[in-house]
Amino acid sequence: MLPLSLLKTAQSHPMLVELKNGETYNGHLVSCDSWMNINLRDVICTSKDGDRFWRMPECYIRGSTIKYLRIPDEVIDMVKEDAQAKSRNRTEMNKNRGGNSSQNQRGGGGGGRPGGGNRNNAGNRSGQGYGGGPSNNAMRLGGAAGQQGNRLPHAAKNNRK
Amino acid sequence: MADKKVGGNNDGKEKRRKESILDLSKYLEKQIRVKFAGGREASGILKGYDALLNLVMDNTVEYLRDSDEPYKLTEDSTRSLGLVVCRGTALVLICPQDGVESIANPFITQ
Repeated sequence: MLPLSLLKTAQSHPMLVELKNGETYNGHLVSCDSWMNINLRDVICTSKDGDRFWRMPECYIRGSTIKYLRIPDEVIDMVKEDAQAKSRNRTEMNKNRGGNSSQNQRGGGGGGRPGGGNRNNAGNRSGQGYGGGPSNNAMRLGGAAGQQGNRLPHAAKNNRK
Repeated sequence: MADKKVGGNNDGKEKRRKESILDLSKYLEKQIRVKFAGGREASGILKGYDALLNLVMDNTVEYLRDSDEPYKLTEDSTRSLGLVVCRGTALVLICPQDGVESIANPFITQ
C-alpha cells in the first residue's frame, strides 16, 4: 500500500487536505502527480483558526506544502485491487526481462540488473537509482547480501499471492 | 546514467510523465490568485509561466496582513505590485480569482 497509489485511487473522491500552514481544503480530487501536487474542484478553504471559509471552483496545491490528506475509508478497498493487478504485471515483466538479459548476454547491463531485480522482488523502489550507477563490484556485494537476506521472506510473499 | 537507460526505452512516455498536472494555459490573461510559502497572497493577471511553475503576473495586488496575526488576511487592505515574476518553488496554491468568495461556515449543519 503506497501512499501515492492510495492517492491516485482516490481521484474523483472527496477529501480533506491540510497544509503545513494550517489551512484546510475540502474538495474532490481531480488529479495528482508523483510530487503529490494535486488539483481539487469544488473546494472549500478553511482558515487556520477555523472561523473563516472560502469557496473556490478549483485549485492547484503544491505537494511539498501538504501536511496530510484525509481520504474516504472505502478508497482503501479499491486500491488493493489496483495493487494486486500491478504486482501481477510486475512479476510478468520480471520474467520477460530475465529471459531477455540471459539471451542477450549483456555484461554491463546484466551486472546492473540483479540489483534492479532484487529491488522489484523486495518491492523497494529506492534501489532503483543505484541500479545502473555503481561499479559491478559494488553491485555484487550489495546484491549478494541483499539476496541472501531478502529472498526467502519475499518468495514466501509471492507464493501467498 | 540510470535515467538515460530508462529514458531510452520509452522516451515519449518518460517526457510526458514530467508534464505538470496543472494546465496553466487556461488561466492565461485571466486573473488568478496565488498563495506563497510564508503566508503572502497576491492576485494578478497571468501573463506567462514555465514548467517550474514560475509565473509572470501583471497588475498584481498583494493582500496585506496584520503583523499581530500573520496568517489572517485583511481583504480590504492591499498594495499594488504591478508586473511580477513569482518564483515557482515559493508557490503553495494557485486558483482562478473568478468564483472565489468568502462564505459562512458550511460545516455547521452537522
